[in-house]
Amino acid sequence: MIELSHVSVVYRKGEENEKCALKNATLRVAEGDFVIIVGPNGAGKSTLMKVLLCELAPTIGTYTLNGRAMRGFSVTQVARWVGRVFQDPNSGIFPDLSILENLSIASKKGIRGLRFRSCPQKAVTLLSRLGLGLENTLNVRAGDLSGGQKQALAMVMAIISDPKVLLLDEHTASLDPKSSVKVMELTRQINEQFGITVVMITHNMPFAEQYGNRKWRIEEGEVFEYEYRPPLRRTHLETPVVLLRDQPHYEPKLV
Amino acid sequence: MLGIVEQGLILGLMSIGVFVSFRIVNMADLTVDGTFALGGALCVRLFSLGLNAPISLLLSLLAGASAGVLTGYLHRKLRINVLLAGILVMTMLYSINLRIMDGPNLPIPKSSVSSSLGTYEQVAGKDPLADLFESSAPVAKPQKETTRQRTYQNIFRGMADGQDLFLLSVIILIGVTLTGLFLRTELGTALRGFGTNPSGLESFGLPKTLMTLLGLGLANGFVSLAGGIFALYSGFADVTMGQGMIVTGLAVVMVGEILLVKKKIVYGLFAPILGGIVYQGILAVVMRYGYRIGFRASDMKLLTAIFIVAVIGFGLVSTNKRMKGKFRLSTIFGGGVSRD
Repeated sequence: MIELSHVSVVYRKGEENEKCALKNATLRVAEGDFVIIVGPNGAGKSTLMKVLLCELAPTIGTYTLNGRAMRGFSVTQVARWVGRVFQDPNSGIFPDLSILENLSIASKKGIRGLRFRSCPQKAVTLLSRLGLGLENTLNVRAGDLSGGQKQALAMVMAIISDPKVLLLDEHTASLDPKSSVKVMELTRQINEQFGITVVMITHNMPFAEQYGNRKWRIEEGEVFEYEYRPPLRRTHLETPVVLLRDQPHYEPKLV
Repeated sequence: MLGIVEQGLILGLMSIGVFVSFRIVNMADLTVDGTFALGGALCVRLFSLGLNAPISLLLSLLAGASAGVLTGYLHRKLRINVLLAGILVMTMLYSINLRIMDGPNLPIPKSSVSSSLGTYEQVAGKDPLADLFESSAPVAKPQKETTRQRTYQNIFRGMADGQDLFLLSVIILIGVTLTGLFLRTELGTALRGFGTNPSGLESFGLPKTLMTLLGLGLANGFVSLAGGIFALYSGFADVTMGQGMIVTGLAVVMVGEILLVKKKIVYGLFAPILGGIVYQGILAVVMRYGYRIGFRASDMKLLTAIFIVAVIGFGLVSTNKRMKGKFRLSTIFGGGVSRD
């Protein structure tokens, strides 16, 4: 799935204040893994995330995703396989648009055409599984939701179009404890039921202990794995189908 | 009265462009000043070259859209701040407009006069002096008119009989309907999403560049179309006709938004039209009675700018509690700086 081999990232290379943010990282993430990354500020967590998102090309080393070498790919191209949710609840959604419009944007990747927007049943079904009641308020502005709801919506949006990997950068950091737990449970569901590989950065140690089957610590650019369990994997191919069948038929309303 | 509504509608059409760039794509695009004049200049030039009015308007719309696309390109690909990119293209357009018009302004020739370069015989029959020179060699006949004679009429008659108003309403209706429909499509929804969260759109595989070009192209297309219509309507194009249009357009959008409070009719596209008519009404009143308290017509730009400052300063158009009091200040004062 994800393979980093001898990846180093050096900022301001050749200048006086040169900084090595990632040092010779060789990592391998298998399909269905739930990786938790912890580490102090400035250790290189976000740099690693940027490499995985192709925002930053490694100075040395190779990054392979699904057997494809990722050098030369842009952020928009890599979006086909990678979903992401960041710390700021407004960064993953489109605040001025309704929930329905948000889902409609998210349900497709790449260039869009002039077909009238639609919202796939799957998106609404996913949303209704959250138990936040968002599926009944599809025409509400996304910007008017609470932080937890926004983050949940952002996660649903990130996984609608079946990415291979979901990257989470402190996605619970700006939420209250109750919402954080809800969002973490959603993260677990996404990993276990849909088989989507999750790579998550967190500063929340209880979450780091409770969730995930692989734990990495980054210190001064070096990555150590300190815990490994085989992933809890279900047959992820059948689950979404069952999920859709179980749900009462729902007709999304267009704005 | 009819004239005020008509001019208001043209202003409204122009402000739809400003609305698209400022509110939908959320970019402070200053190209508008240049594209309005470009629309006027090109439309009049094409019209006087013998194209019919709708095609001239369509071509000026396309020219305006390409100017917008150029601004977007400068901004995204060459990483020039969007404000500066707009000013650069606007400055280029100033020279280009002078070239197009071959002078600072260009009137629309009346259809009866413009085509009268026929031979003398065609116009007055036999040459009355021909008898005098019968014995001499035959006079070389004046060359026949080779340029195509223009038979098209200006679509605007300039008479207050409601026909222009009808025509303008139809054009605006078509424009708003098409744009409204576009904004309902997947691409249009993405464009609206781009305005609120440009980086977020990248995670769904849509490049910022494409959306910028699309948004600014659409915006400047509207402005240029309005410029062309204005020139046909008033009978001339002038290189300075676009001066301060961005400020006027912004004021018009704000007037419309204040009047409509929270109602977003056709994604808010209706606000500039209403605003245009009201703004033109206010302008007429100020022109007519303002002199009594010492106003001059030339003070209008000052008033407009102060109005915008007041609206933003007091957060009158806030549609969103979070933004109350600082309604997208970033849009006006350097929204482009933080976009990368």
